[in-house]
Amino acid sequence: MNPTTPLPTAPGPTSATAPKTTSRLGDWVHWLRFALHNTLRNRRRSLVTAAIAALGTAAMLLAGGFALFTYESLAQAAARDTGHLVLGTPASFTSDEDVPLQHGLEQVDALRQQLLADPAVRQVLPKVTFSGLISNGDKSTVMMAVGVEPDAEFSIKGPFLTVTAGSVLTSGETEPTVMLGEALARSLKAAPGTSLTLLASTTEGAMNAMDVVVKGTFTTGVPEVDKRAVFTSVALAQRLLVTERVSSLGVFLDRMAATLPAQARLGAQHPTLEVKNWEQQAPFYQAVKELYNRIFGALGVIIGVIVVFVVTNAMAMAIIERTREIGTLRALGTLPGQLQRSLALEGMLLGGVGALAGAGVSLLVSLALLVFPVDMPPPPGRSVGYPLNIAIDPALYLLTLVLMVGLTTLASWAVARKTVRMPVVDALAHT
Amino acid sequence: MTHTPTPTPTTRAGIPLQPAAFGSCQAAAPVVALRQVYKTYRLGAHVIPALQGVDLSVARGELLALTGPSGSGKSTILNLCGLIDTADSGDIELNGQPIDGLDEDALTLLRRDALGFVFQSFNLVPVMTVAENVDYPLFLTGVPAAERRERVAAQLAAVGLADHAHHRPDALSGGQRQRVAIARALVKRPKLVIADEPTASLDSHTADQVLDLMRECGHAEGAAFVIATHDSRLTSRCDRVVALLDGRIQ
Repeated sequence: MNPTTPLPTAPGPTSATAPKTTSRLGDWVHWLRFALHNTLRNRRRSLVTAAIAALGTAAMLLAGGFALFTYESLAQAAARDTGHLVLGTPASFTSDEDVPLQHGLEQVDALRQQLLADPAVRQVLPKVTFSGLISNGDKSTVMMAVGVEPDAEFSIKGPFLTVTAGSVLTSGETEPTVMLGEALARSLKAAPGTSLTLLASTTEGAMNAMDVVVKGTFTTGVPEVDKRAVFTSVALAQRLLVTERVSSLGVFLDRMAATLPAQARLGAQHPTLEVKNWEQQAPFYQAVKELYNRIFGALGVIIGVIVVFVVTNAMAMAIIERTREIGTLRALGTLPGQLQRSLALEGMLLGGVGALAGAGVSLLVSLALLVFPVDMPPPPGRSVGYPLNIAIDPALYLLTLVLMVGLTTLASWAVARKTVRMPVVDALAHT
Repeated sequence: MTHTPTPTPTTRAGIPLQPAAFGSCQAAAPVVALRQVYKTYRLGAHVIPALQGVDLSVARGELLALTGPSGSGKSTILNLCGLIDTADSGDIELNGQPIDGLDEDALTLLRRDALGFVFQSFNLVPVMTVAENVDYPLFLTGVPAAERRERVAAQLAAVGLADHAHHRPDALSGGQRQRVAIARALVKRPKLVIADEPTASLDSHTADQVLDLMRECGHAEGAAFVIATHDSRLTSRCDRVVALLDGRIQ
């Protein structure tokens, strides 16, 4: 101590009513720095707390990313299967048919040209769905057949079928050809080049038969479908059913996002027809989405609760340890709200650092899965697995980070509430 | 007959005292005044009287020592003067302003602006540097950063710790820590400093230094000190000593 040091000159005590002259930003920086120092007091505890928040965040992001990838895959598959939009007569969506194509579309060529004039429409594909029998001469079995335009269908849909033998259908075949589901081909002892006979009821109710040659076999990944599925051309199907009609028109758009506007537009242009979008035609998609939303929603709630408990516990310990210091700060003139805010900032920092670390882990795992693919086992009812991918969705990341930081901040705020409001005398006497 | 005017009483340092410094309740605007203050504590089913009708006022610049055995009421008076506790009955005024009826936030703001505290065990914030500890009361009162830096540096120089501004409290000796605490109490130029056994944790040499410092700084700033102590060296150098026993002034 240096007794000769001149004492600071005093302009007088600061008035309680003196206006605050420090900037709000400066105040926040001050409190944030104070909170940061406090979180570093017990580094091991802070590290564990932040690690739990990181694990929680990573788990949420990975689960959410997996769900989003699944939704996106199912949506793409559904849209690829039916088209983004499906046009048909209203009755075709609501009523059973007494005879094949009873509710089918007529004058399809003109309708296709009108639809193709829409700027969002990339392709319009007719489809004839019918059932009947397929026979190898010794054995007959039920088939669920679809007539498509082979070249356009395979070019617009890409490799939507896994060809197991032979090749896919092409337009301009010299002889009537079909593709069979793998299990159906095995049942009929058919292979590419095998002659079979299709039997079906015509639109007049009479039976008709047609000899066809197997062009190839395929699997859809669903064994039950592969036992019955037959692909052929629209022309062959119409010849077999003796009609010019098609069951529906699948409208393929340039992007998924154009679906709803195009639906409204085409619906207005064709008031006598019904325009359904892919989602309305894909109950499986809705069911999976609802199921996953519940599963992953519950998972998210559990993770959130765990993180809140961990942060609450860590902050409670930190606050109890610092009760006397809180009393000192209160005695010095710190308002309870200021202390509560400071302690909430500590929770925010712990949660924020943990959430950022968790987001980094999730990002790395998602990218690693693209570089080192991992296959999931086949889901129930399917025969092939699918690649495990995690969607990297900025909105999901932002939402999860905000949620995690918000939860940890609120948990700290709540746990600090009692202590910062306890009588200063009691806080100072705390041991 | 000649009339000899009564000399104006002064502190031992020569600073004139206001009449209130002598315990008179009728004096004008003492820094703090307690009138017929009663306070009891409950310990389970037992009611313990801590203060029983205490009258006390402290004048500007006065160093007042409260002495008495444990349980005599010293700490209770400190708590009441420091606005961190409330009386069961009686009046308490700070700067002539009654504090009765003020809510917790208003009392906090009064403490922030008018009071300084020096604790027996220093009560510095360990995660703050020496400068940050001293700066904290100024930050609370909203003093601009540039002015805060100047005042903190000057106050640290005044307590002889200019070279320790960026040290953490745990790197300082007990005497140095108490000097930081005094700097923290005085930096905002309080009306009143509450000091609870400020020399109890210090050796005699350091205790003398700390007491000198409180006298010098307090007088320079015009701050009154209310000090609870058992230390006879300290009481001998205070302006006034109030002895307490069983919650009453002797």
